[in-house]
Amino acid sequence: MSAAAAVSTAGYLARRAAQKEKVRILYRRALKDTLNWAVHRHLFYRDASDLRERFEANKHVEDLDTIDRMIADAEASYNKWRHPDPYIVPWAPGGSKFTRNPTPPAGIEIIYDYGREDND
Amino acid sequence: MAMRAAILRYIRLPARAQTLAAPRSREWTLLGGSSASRSMSSHGDDHLTKEEVVERVLSVVKSFPKVDPATVTPDVHFQNDLGLDSLDTVEIVMALEEEFKLEIPDLEADKIDSCHLAIEYIHNHPMAS
Repeated sequence: MSAAAAVSTAGYLARRAAQKEKVRILYRRALKDTLNWAVHRHLFYRDASDLRERFEANKHVEDLDTIDRMIADAEASYNKWRHPDPYIVPWAPGGSKFTRNPTPPAGIEIIYDYGREDND
Repeated sequence: MAMRAAILRYIRLPARAQTLAAPRSREWTLLGGSSASRSMSSHGDDHLTKEEVVERVLSVVKSFPKVDPATVTPDVHFQNDLGLDSLDTVEIVMALEEEFKLEIPDLEADKIDSCHLAIEYIHNHPMAS
């Protein structure tokens, strides 16, 4: 058992690193979602610490398959709880100011001739 | 009457000449070159100086409850020097996003591991304010 784990160390570490990255991204999204649902800061702090407790409770799991299953379950529950109208920074994709005033393409000019006609 | 027409024709000519000349279009391409900039918006106008970015980032990191304020320097690494968790790093990055009104994509935010990287990223971001 330990020999098998030692032989596939590189693969094991790669899988663990991928899982850790998934967990970090999931925590980030869940935290943003928590802020979306709980708009007021005092409620958000309480919910954020609850979320942190849930993540910390599973911190010491070592088995790769269990971790994969837990990540899949957590992502499913995150998708279930996503806010329908999340706060996105206005200039970012999905925000209200995104592509509101795009820069005009190069070479387009406004000729200010104030309606002067050609036969003047 | 003829003189008026001649004067108007003379006055009109420079505008036409300028539209055909290269400098105007070059000016527009310089402004429209960076794809993330919007020239008619006033958001992101206040280009932050490096010292201001450093000061604000350090104040955000120092006000984090799990961090000892005395050990925070602009070169500190969140996990190695401050002894924070990876989840704490995520929280700090979110706090920085809120402070500078940024939206950092998930994969980029994952890579921000130290104060130095955070300051670089925020300073080079066109929409930081």
